[in-house]
Amino acid sequence: MSVRLFLQVASVEMRKRMSYRVDFWINAFVGFAAELCIAWFLWQALYAESGKDVIGGYVFDEMLVYYVFVIIFARLVRGAEFEAHVSQDIYEGGLNRYLVFPASYFGMKYAQHVGGLVPTFVQTALFLGAWLVFTGGAGGEAITLTTVLMAAASLVLANLLYYAMSFPLHAVAFWADNVWSLLITLRFASNLLGGRMFPLVLFPVALRTANEWLPFRALFGLPAEALLGRVGFEAWLQGMAIGIVWLGVLSLIGRAVWRRGNLQYSGIGI
Amino acid sequence: MAKIGLATHGLARENPRFPGQAMIRVRNLSKSYTVHKKAPGLWGSIRSLVARQKVVKHAVRGVDLDVGEGEILGLVGPNGAGKTTLVKMLAGIIHPSGGEAQVLGHTPWERNNEFRRQIALIMGQKAQLWWDLPAADGFLLLKEIYRIPDDRYAANLAYLAEVLDVEQHLNVQVRRLSLGERMKMELIAALLHEPRVVFLDEPTIGLDLTAQRAIRDFLLAYREEHRPAMILTSHYMEDIQRLCKRIVIIDDGRFLYDGPLDQVAQAYAGQKVITVHLRRGDGSPPPAEALAAFGDVLTAGEDEVQLCVPRERVAEASAYLLAELPVADLSIDEEDIGTIIERIFRERRVEGA
Ligand SMILES: Nc1ncnc2c1ncn2[C@@H]1O[C@H](COP(=O)(O)OP(=O)(O)OP(=O)(O)O)[C@@H](O)[C@H]1O
Ligand SMILES: [Mg+2]
Repeated sequence: MSVRLFLQVASVEMRKRMSYRVDFWINAFVGFAAELCIAWFLWQALYAESGKDVIGGYVFDEMLVYYVFVIIFARLVRGAEFEAHVSQDIYEGGLNRYLVFPASYFGMKYAQHVGGLVPTFVQTALFLGAWLVFTGGAGGEAITLTTVLMAAASLVLANLLYYAMSFPLHAVAFWADNVWSLLITLRFASNLLGGRMFPLVLFPVALRTANEWLPFRALFGLPAEALLGRVGFEAWLQGMAIGIVWLGVLSLIGRAVWRRGNLQYSGIGI
Repeated sequence: MAKIGLATHGLARENPRFPGQAMIRVRNLSKSYTVHKKAPGLWGSIRSLVARQKVVKHAVRGVDLDVGEGEILGLVGPNGAGKTTLVKMLAGIIHPSGGEAQVLGHTPWERNNEFRRQIALIMGQKAQLWWDLPAADGFLLLKEIYRIPDDRYAANLAYLAEVLDVEQHLNVQVRRLSLGERMKMELIAALLHEPRVVFLDEPTIGLDLTAQRAIRDFLLAYREEHRPAMILTSHYMEDIQRLCKRIVIIDDGRFLYDGPLDQVAQAYAGQKVITVHLRRGDGSPPPAEALAAFGDVLTAGEDEVQLCVPRERVAEASAYLLAELPVADLSIDEEDIGTIIERIFRERRVEGA
């Protein structure tokens, strides 16, 4: 697949998402604010209840900053995961069109996914701006250019990784009438084990160590910890390496599922 | 349109069915779908969790076919006959259950890009263009997908949009176009890359007569210029008669007939249509029962009678009509091709029952 085609597909998707949904913008902003409020109240209570100033190495302000970034990162990593995706193409027959094109289906879908991220970028920039104005960036003092670069690299990997995780689940639509529950399970598991619900340091040590070998940490925890200077360069590299290996494994699985599914695809909808 | 990509293999042009030159070759191709049956309602859903009942549907049952360059093959058959299934296999969307096919020397369902760059699939039932985009944007995307060089793209688009008369709609979102306008856009989208093999599945469905005619004329012109192999399915006999010299009649996954359109009548001959116009004044209605003794009574009005009778009884029936009715004029015609095909299906249904 050529770079030009990739960019063009991405740009079409971007324009589509930017133009035709007001509610998309409102939802996004309200969503951010609501989630952050919940985190604020919850941790207020937890800090007060425990009588501690530091929990898992985080003071209250830092904890809140952790949430600001995992909320943002989760959006950047997942994109619009339930929209215009593989399972929908299978159910609604949109796949037929792509199958006759002399281009990689996977490539075109990923280009759409990336294009759909652009509005999310704009939203997160606005949201970050709002956070800076309100708090003056309190709790984010450890952020440097290096940690920003580490986080950025980590996010690229996380995005690919999440796509590679969800692709085989979507492709189950070749056999099953509904893949919704699988996607919800993935969402929940990745929230919990990926550090989206709370910082992974709060897990018991054994669980934490085991989790380091799974692909989830690379999704949200690793980029957030990297940004906030909570993980050393070597530990970060190791996390990235584990993520990359998983990316390879998941791609192979995705490819195999796709092949099998194609053999018995019946071209629904035409 | 730029005359590039114009295939000129002289041999096949003279004889499109010359086997070595066939662009589409199909041997013993079959497809059965497995469907899981589910009884309606909640109880059915619960039961199907435990034991799913499998039903195998044979949609195409071992067919052979060759289509040559410049040939438009008409695929005719009732609903559920297997037309779309055959087209889906040849376009590489689905894998067959058995048999083989070669399109331009490639096995379609391997879907290599070399193959896909040279074919097009047009579905009257299902929009292929991006719904939310203006057609022009969709075409640009296709330009990248098919890697059409700038000059050819510009020339082809200008030509197609002009011939199909949709230049003024190019910048309108596809979802806002009328059915006919959209269909024309679909044609442009499918032909921008000058495919050498074109599959058309009911391209004129739901269109008004003018739009149908425009699309037919356009397809003929396209064929003259590019000499593609085309397979056309349609329920409109007019499409078939205007576009196809050769047809395949398919029913229940099998080919009943594969040959020249104008020989269907002979192959399934037997009937002729006698039409008489009556002089006014007499007023008494024609004796319907007596007429029915000769064959099917198509019309029996005060000024016109139309009978469909077996070939060997034509003389007898004509004599009777001339003797018994105030005939102004009389004509004897071959049965209309659409009627013949309808009759073939009807008779098969009766046999099957
Ligand atoms: N995706 C599918 N899954 C299961 N069965 C299918 C599927 N598609 C078609 N069939 C069945 O296969 C048979 C042939 O269908 P097909 O779509 O090829 O018919 P067709 O000749 O195109 O009919 P029509 O004129 O109605 O378009 C039908 O009995 C249909 O129910
Ligand atoms: Mg059909």
